[in-house]
Amino acid sequence: MNEVYINSAAQISIQKPLSDEWLANPIHYDAPYARSLEPDFRVYFNPLESRRMGPLFKRALVTSTEALKKAGLEQPEAIITGTGLGCVENTELLLGTLCTEGEELLKPTCFMQSTHNIISSLIAIHTKSHCYNVTYSHRSISFDSALFDAYLQILTGKIGNALVGGHDELTPSYFSILRKIGYLGVEGMAVSSETAVSYVVSNNPDNSLCRIAGFKMLYNPSQELLNSTIDTLLNENGLEANAKPISLSIISGFNGNPENDRPYASLIGGNPLLKQCPQLRYKHIFGENYTSSGFGPLTAAMNLKENKAECILYLNHSDGKCWSIILFEKR
Amino acid sequence: MTEPVYMTGRGIVCAIGLCKEETADSLTALRTGIGPVRHLRTVHAEFPVGEVKLSNEEMCRKLGIPESAPSSRTQLMGTLALKEALAEAGLLGTDLKISFINGTTVGGMDKSEQYYLDFLNNDSRNDFIKTHDCGICTQMIGDYFGCFSFMTCISTACSSAANAMIMAANLIRSGQTDIAVAGGTECITKFHLNGFNALKILDLQQCRPFDASRAGLNLGEGAGYVVMESLSSLKKRGVKPLAILEGYGNACDAYHQTTSSPDGEGAYLCMSEALTMAGLKPEDIDYINAHGTGTPNNDESETTALKRVFGDSVPPFSSTKSFTGHTTSASGSIEAIICSLAIDRQFIPLNLGWKQPMENGLIPAHDDMKPAGELRHVLCNSFGFGGNDSSLIIGQCKGLSHE
Amino acid sequence: MNEELILKLKQEIIEVLNLEDVRPEDIDENAPLFGDGLGLDSIDALELIVLMEKSYGIKLQDPSKGKEIFKSIAVMAQYISENRTK
Repeated sequence: MNEVYINSAAQISIQKPLSDEWLANPIHYDAPYARSLEPDFRVYFNPLESRRMGPLFKRALVTSTEALKKAGLEQPEAIITGTGLGCVENTELLLGTLCTEGEELLKPTCFMQSTHNIISSLIAIHTKSHCYNVTYSHRSISFDSALFDAYLQILTGKIGNALVGGHDELTPSYFSILRKIGYLGVEGMAVSSETAVSYVVSNNPDNSLCRIAGFKMLYNPSQELLNSTIDTLLNENGLEANAKPISLSIISGFNGNPENDRPYASLIGGNPLLKQCPQLRYKHIFGENYTSSGFGPLTAAMNLKENKAECILYLNHSDGKCWSIILFEKR
Repeated sequence: MTEPVYMTGRGIVCAIGLCKEETADSLTALRTGIGPVRHLRTVHAEFPVGEVKLSNEEMCRKLGIPESAPSSRTQLMGTLALKEALAEAGLLGTDLKISFINGTTVGGMDKSEQYYLDFLNNDSRNDFIKTHDCGICTQMIGDYFGCFSFMTCISTACSSAANAMIMAANLIRSGQTDIAVAGGTECITKFHLNGFNALKILDLQQCRPFDASRAGLNLGEGAGYVVMESLSSLKKRGVKPLAILEGYGNACDAYHQTTSSPDGEGAYLCMSEALTMAGLKPEDIDYINAHGTGTPNNDESETTALKRVFGDSVPPFSSTKSFTGHTTSASGSIEAIICSLAIDRQFIPLNLGWKQPMENGLIPAHDDMKPAGELRHVLCNSFGFGGNDSSLIIGQCKGLSHE
Repeated sequence: MNEELILKLKQEIIEVLNLEDVRPEDIDENAPLFGDGLGLDSIDALELIVLMEKSYGIKLQDPSKGKEIFKSIAVMAQYISENRTK
């Protein structure tokens, strides 16, 4: 089995785009909803390219380009993307037209760009890559599924590297829709936001940010299974569950929404090892949306790079049912 | 050659059958499921479609799901097909840990497109906000059975189900899981019917894949799932393998968001990769289930790719979208199951509606074509919007010869 | 030639095709729209078909006719003034 590393990352979010400044000087948000801050896209695209790309696509392309550049890669061996809702802007335009004007005269470009896999496809066209190309769309494990696919393929030697991304946009109207079902906009929770984060992961430790030492994804596990899975992950990496933890920190998706936070609190609170470890959060910086878990590995990697921990255990869930558990290790 | 993955259960719901038997019977009787729209409430009654011959209410009754519960047509078809697959594999009500990889693009869009204005303006349909996305659709299908320990959803348009099967096979091969069910489900929605119409790729007549007069596709709907497992799992459970997933490939055309490249590069690459993985030569393939949508662009591009892989000896091939319509996200698994049924019954599914070759075209299986020899290895193509191209190779399995 | 129609058409095309940073005065009404010139492609042609119907009530039964009609803005304007129902 090969080892898997995160070699580079690039983000466009509600924090300063394409920068690590969020680590030391995060921008604070009081509003319930915020859209991403963007770099000057004219640097990256000419008007003819730009005209057909809404913000979701531009951000995906720019973060992908930057991540590849930082990793010294021109064409990855796989492009794997996670998106919870795909191109919301185009989807809503089409739905709006269908509902108010009827079934005639839909804009072809809108439809063409409403399927979730267009993000990944645009990246392939832009980088001229014919490699393995897949998109996952499963709520808050969309990004995690994409990373898991890449991880397994590198682990088993199928590929040497992959470009993995998490991308979601949130229009004001769709924010209001998701607010109604208590997923977003709950009083006291982190700002609802957008995600564009791209990583290069590979079997190459050189210049890497950290190692992915273990990765498990579970559906509807019991507390017992969650705990034993964590034990196994730690044991496999020489971290005995019963012994004093060697600088292990936990990073989880707490966001201030009680329904979201309860499963994390149960798991961590009920585990004697986990509850005594330093706890890291990231959604208070990057906000909440279906692929904001994509900022978890970035936060973990930066903390490891700055020697704030030796290992970081990442916990993420979707609906309290889909779980992903990743052990990140300092390189 | 890489270690094969065994298929032990298959479930299908489509325009030509509500189960495998019916589907296979329709294929051999040359009975198409494409016709006038009956279930979808659309103004565009002029487009022939391949609808599943059940209303949502009928599907709810079959499954014992209350009609008042928020559900989507995609989810209902998926649940029916998954039930058949798990039953064949002897896994209904199992305690074993199984993985579920679904493929869909529309998810609960059939309801969202009805209630979108309510979503915005009032609280009357909030339950359907929750059933909109691909992930929840997958969970609702999986939760009906309650036997899954891993679940996720792939969304790569028309190659979703094929890619779900590929991911499942990778999970098994890497030892992450012993048993995985994978495939896809998609219902026809006004959203994508009108979307495809805006792209001007729907045919007003029944589709004619690879024919000189082809003018577009007919949309279809349905669901297909395949249970796959490792050799050790098969032996432990004492179950009979039905077929082998011998190889697969995934490549990106990287040409255009909706059009396939003139040289069929993505298609060529994924077919080649599948052959390499299966340890087979082009001449080992006995039948190809083409993607064959019937659009001028796809059929031309796919023809070029077939010639690049197979040279002058392209094996018998056909597009069964002439029976089922284009089932979009479900097509990869629906057609993989059709390939498996073809191997079971040793017949070549024909390419309905074909009369004349395209310019520089190939001649698909039509009229009274019978296999020249045994059908042992079958190639199944699925090419999605955005150039997400995938191929699967399904092999005959005459008992466990890999001990 | 209907100057008003040509200007309106330019504005509509800029909007519908999202040609950021392009002003009506930048477009030569006699220059080819596709290939060279403005460099539009087949998807843009579909958008123009939708525009013709929405703004001018002209339904193009055969989309392949688009090639001739969309040769240039001047040719388009001529076709519209002859066939418009709105």
